[in-house]
Amino acid sequence: MKKNSFIFLIGLLTFCTAFAQQTVVKGSVKDLTSNLPLAEVTVTFEGALLSTQTDALGVFVFSSDVPLGDQTLNLTKQGYIVARYPIVVNEGETLEIQDMMLSLDDSDDDLFTITLSDDELNDDTSGADNISGLLSSSQDVFQRAAAFEFSPSFFRVRGLNTDNGNVLMNGIEMNKAFNGRPQWSNWGGLNDVLRNQELTTGLAPSSYNFGGILGTTNINLRASEYRSGSRITYSSSNRSYTNRVMATHASGMVKGGWSYAFSLGRRWGNEGFQDGTFYDANSFFVSVEKKINDNHSLNFTGFYTPNRRGKSSPNTQEVYDLKDIKYNEYWGYHDGEKRNSRVRRIAEPVLMLNHYWDVTEKTSLNTNVAYQFGELGNSRLDYAGGANPSPAYYQGLPSYFLADNDGPDLAGAYDAYQNFTEGGQLDWNRLYDANLTNNITGDYAAYVLYEDRSDDNQFTVNTIINSDVSENVTLNAAVNYKRLKSHNFAEIIDMLGSTTGYLNVDSFDQFQFDLQNPNQIVGEGDTFRYNYNLEANILSMFAQAQFKYNKVDFFLAVSNTRTNYQREGLYQSEAYEDNSFGKGAKVEFTGIGAKGGFTYKFSGKHLLVANGGYLTKAPTIRNTFSNSRDNHAIVGDQSGFGITEEKITSFDLNYVYRSPIVKARLTGYFTKMQDANEVSFYYADGISGVDSGTAFVQEILEGIDKKHLGIEFGIEAQVTPTIKLTGVASVGQYTYDNNPNLLLSSSDFVDGLDFGEANLKDYKIAGGPQRAFSLGFEYRDPNYWWFGTTANFMSNAYVDISPLTRTENFYLDTDGFPFPDYDPTLAKELLRQEKFDSYMVWNAVGGKSWKIGDKYISLFVSLNNILNTQFKTGGFEQGRNANYQSLKEDVNAPKRRFGPKYWFGRGTTYFLNLNLRF
Amino acid sequence: MKTINFKNYLLALLASVAIVSCVQDDDFSVPESVGTEENRALNELLSGGVNLVSISELKAMYDSDPDGDGNNNDAIPFRVDTDIAIKGYVTSSDLTGNFYKEVYLQDSPENPTTAIKVILSQVDSYNRFNKGREVYIRLNPTFENGAPGGLYIGEERTGNEVITIGGGTESDQYGTTVTSLSQNQMNATLLRSEITEEIVPLNVQFSQISSVHIGMFVQIDNVEFEDNLDGLRYFDPSEDYDTQRTLQSCSGFSYSNMNIETSSFANFKNEMLPTGNGSIRGLVVKTYDGSSLVLALNTTDDVDFNGERCELLNIDDFNLLFDEDFEAYSNFDEISGDWTNYIEEGTRDWIARTTTDTGNPGSRIAQISAYNSGDVSTVSWLITPAIDLDAQEFEFFDFESSNSYSDGSELELLISTDWDGTDAGVSSATWTSLPGTIVPDDTYYKDWIYSGLVDLSPYSGTAHIAFKYTANSGNTGTYEIDNVKVLVQN
Repeated sequence: MKKNSFIFLIGLLTFCTAFAQQTVVKGSVKDLTSNLPLAEVTVTFEGALLSTQTDALGVFVFSSDVPLGDQTLNLTKQGYIVARYPIVVNEGETLEIQDMMLSLDDSDDDLFTITLSDDELNDDTSGADNISGLLSSSQDVFQRAAAFEFSPSFFRVRGLNTDNGNVLMNGIEMNKAFNGRPQWSNWGGLNDVLRNQELTTGLAPSSYNFGGILGTTNINLRASEYRSGSRITYSSSNRSYTNRVMATHASGMVKGGWSYAFSLGRRWGNEGFQDGTFYDANSFFVSVEKKINDNHSLNFTGFYTPNRRGKSSPNTQEVYDLKDIKYNEYWGYHDGEKRNSRVRRIAEPVLMLNHYWDVTEKTSLNTNVAYQFGELGNSRLDYAGGANPSPAYYQGLPSYFLADNDGPDLAGAYDAYQNFTEGGQLDWNRLYDANLTNNITGDYAAYVLYEDRSDDNQFTVNTIINSDVSENVTLNAAVNYKRLKSHNFAEIIDMLGSTTGYLNVDSFDQFQFDLQNPNQIVGEGDTFRYNYNLEANILSMFAQAQFKYNKVDFFLAVSNTRTNYQREGLYQSEAYEDNSFGKGAKVEFTGIGAKGGFTYKFSGKHLLVANGGYLTKAPTIRNTFSNSRDNHAIVGDQSGFGITEEKITSFDLNYVYRSPIVKARLTGYFTKMQDANEVSFYYADGISGVDSGTAFVQEILEGIDKKHLGIEFGIEAQVTPTIKLTGVASVGQYTYDNNPNLLLSSSDFVDGLDFGEANLKDYKIAGGPQRAFSLGFEYRDPNYWWFGTTANFMSNAYVDISPLTRTENFYLDTDGFPFPDYDPTLAKELLRQEKFDSYMVWNAVGGKSWKIGDKYISLFVSLNNILNTQFKTGGFEQGRNANYQSLKEDVNAPKRRFGPKYWFGRGTTYFLNLNLRF
Repeated sequence: MKTINFKNYLLALLASVAIVSCVQDDDFSVPESVGTEENRALNELLSGGVNLVSISELKAMYDSDPDGDGNNNDAIPFRVDTDIAIKGYVTSSDLTGNFYKEVYLQDSPENPTTAIKVILSQVDSYNRFNKGREVYIRLNPTFENGAPGGLYIGEERTGNEVITIGGGTESDQYGTTVTSLSQNQMNATLLRSEITEEIVPLNVQFSQISSVHIGMFVQIDNVEFEDNLDGLRYFDPSEDYDTQRTLQSCSGFSYSNMNIETSSFANFKNEMLPTGNGSIRGLVVKTYDGSSLVLALNTTDDVDFNGERCELLNIDDFNLLFDEDFEAYSNFDEISGDWTNYIEEGTRDWIARTTTDTGNPGSRIAQISAYNSGDVSTVSWLITPAIDLDAQEFEFFDFESSNSYSDGSELELLISTDWDGTDAGVSSATWTSLPGTIVPDDTYYKDWIYSGLVDLSPYSGTAHIAFKYTANSGNTGTYEIDNVKVLVQN
């Protein structure tokens, strides 16, 4: 290894001094690997308020207010290891430092990889969706800890969902209109080309959009922005996939002003940490840019990441006790092969065209057009003519026999115990046998495998203008138009041996799913159950002014968004004959937003930052239609409360300390959300007012207020040039702040059931630990190896409560009077929200790199949860037992039959990454 | 230079991607292993030392009243302790939800003689034990762990006469009953063969249906729902579990009836009752309390009521051509007059008696019995005078019958149109069985059973109708008949 190239040493530096009147510090920065100049490196005098960026040739100059004496220059660039250079500045002299080297931060890459693309591909009902992926590129110690250390625990920054943050690609918003969340898997496996990220967190101003209250990440996919070179990566893991290969090549700017970049990747595995969770994903990316002249540049980017993955089930405590944290009820053996019945499949290519125009030296205009289309499918078994095939169905578990009305049925419980512990997986043979049997008698298929599909076509066009009006003032503005047509339907993907077909009629109540085509016999590839389009048009505008002065920075931003949604039924549901077919009413929303913030710089070391904002926004499509599978109904129609924009008020106050050794940030935040709706879908057993049997219900909570407040603290100390210590804390309290109205809707009971107020106020919001702490140690050896370890403590995670049990339905008997045996003390105990045990997770990472000729090889290994700590990351109360008597009976049984279902964190896992760059 | 390198590794990457095909495919076909385990178990049963017994034999292993005191509280289900099996054909289907966790099997796809019920802890069993499926039940399989695996033969409600195979027992003050087979028991004992037969419904009339028919798939022709059920549905929403609707068939001058019972879980429960007349196919089952026999449908596809509703005959349109109430005879008189009272074998002939039966009190009747005759064999005929079937369009025959000490002795109802009227000619004439109902063996001895109107219009010429009694030294039961009539249209 060339000692003189090591970044912490300055042996390589060449000092040139010359006599001049001004005190000037200038220099150039290069990439250690490629030896090419690096642009957009932020160069800062530590301890002073002075900073600048390198230009395209990697050159920077400080010519005014240069502090004298012993100083330290701090060089930072996204994706590179921070470098610090001690210099001596003499008055009236020019100090020139050439060829300062920055080294790529491999650890950053690899961690980033894991977090962003692998873990986020979860079912959106699992609660596993979190914001951390947004933060992985952050330089902030707190946010890095949130991304890398807390995210396996489903920690959410400030307790907020990802729909409060925006992910942009080349300035185009990628959040889905359906649920407002970014669909990570649409760019999974493209890690090499997603490195150019620009992150703003919280209410801080982004130059691309107004943003949500969690911030905005813009990922730059311009071909010209990629460093030229090639890279091959192989990874091995036991988390979600087993193997990954990726290859990426970028040309840099070549003759004729062209640049191009492409990337290919494949990730696969038969089983992740959970049993039966296969992984099968390919990634393709291409980007081509033509620099037309000095002012105009045109870029095309396209990417396609088809992805299939076996899902894993949440389980009750009983199931977990009988099995383990890897247990997954969704799979079973099919001729010796593990076959998962619930597969999530995404194939949504994105094509975009971007025009960059430097109107003047100070003003740039960026215009983008993007089109996204494709398929999203979630498979599951339909059992219209058979018993519930779930191996963990409550009637097959010991608890069911122990709770027998005639006293515990010990023999039955023992049988169930034996069967479940020795088998306990889906019996595909039985499903096929049932259909083959029905073929004999000419009966319709008892079981079919189908996909809930959501095929989106989305067109986006926008223009973003940035203008540096003066040295102190920057203006940003943008106009966005987005049009979405989403075709939603269920499609049979496997008839499981049936040749008789499937009758497109609700087996539960004999209602026709499509009156336009009654008694239709459907087969593989046919649409059934439900079929409709959703259209959304979103027009938004945003304007922002940022002011930067010596002591104070401040900004102001406003936005206006007009949104409309419309449903078009392609089926006429017999249950909603008059309200399901054709186009429904158009719902319109107007959202406004205003936010501002200021930074007061006491000195270069001490900063105070305060931000505040108020915004109203249209509910997502998901939370607008109460039962979109069946009819046009809008949330609020039935209860009479109507539907309105959500209102969000948010403040934060930050104290930032930066010294050459220590960097720290302390933040207090407060967010209040009002008038939100939540529509959740689930299969419910035994809802009161419904005949026995299973019903697919929509649970509609109307007018929810939530309060999120807490503090964040992060500190890192470079105690020696090689050793860094970090400490991070997040202490929050996220609660419901009112008692929203609850309705249940389902095609199985045509008139929705209005349960009135759900007493949710002060219940905790589920979704990861509300308190998280991390302590870390990192060692970087001059000989190109490094090692880090963290201990992470999580607590105050809560189960997601079932709002139904918090309505008056809980204590009222069918006659409208309270149950005669109602005991308020016991009721309070029954309704106490479960708080999960706190736990500690120990992680370690390490890596080494070698330079062989002009090639670089780096190896990186990370171990998560080394102590194999078992912990619950989330869970929800089942929608059963909605009243006092049945809940009491269940809780008092020897083992709960309908206890909450939980997700468990992974045990010890590894990730190994081998990378070749040239 | 770089481009070449890149091509090389790109090729390597594509090759490695191509190699990878081990991830779960989304193209699955029917698993080869479907049914192999069950076939293995069935082959073992068929080839091994398992003793195949008839359903009747199996049912006979259970006695619902061991002490014979008429009270079933001492009933104890019989636990099978030898390696025996039965074979049967499924008659029920829970596809529509009208049956729940139960399967009925009869001993033959056509002309069954008996049937049995099996109770399971399994819903939607139709997609495994489909109607017509040949199923073997191994009643005492050997489990690997050596635990006794014998199933139980008993009733779900003591004394209800529905002999049922269960997986366990439970007791209360009314006696001991059987409980459902667990999943494991079902998998180990109910073994399907590849065969599915068409179940040919047994054609019966309401008056013929008895507890023998429980679990059999039967067909009754020329029936309809009662007049006052027009506009109603199979299920009455005010009921909690089951609804009974009355069927009727025109039986000459009056209706004969039977109830059809529909579960609240049947998916056809809200279908309108059809208003026409026709045939219905279903299972003979018992009501939950075991008190009466009812019909239960597999599906409403088995109800074919598209014909015109039947009309009762008007008695005013008919004359009694022949009317014998035996009141003219004295007690112990031999039956004589226009009747032919012929002893083919033995020494007993038909005599007049005064009955004390509650079903026919004080009436003079005709009786035949070989009791105490000492005869090895008894065959005794009682033959009506000649009936001219060509003089009018319609003619009916009816009578009532009763029995005592019922056993293997038999009474047959026969018709001949070529008998010459002489004793000697009886055995050489052609005698055809008539469908009129004769008292079944299990009828209480004080009850009298109406034959139903036996339609004679299919016959022509001069006819004689005969009651033929057959007995032997071991079976000498008594039969009694009364009110023998021939009705002819004016």
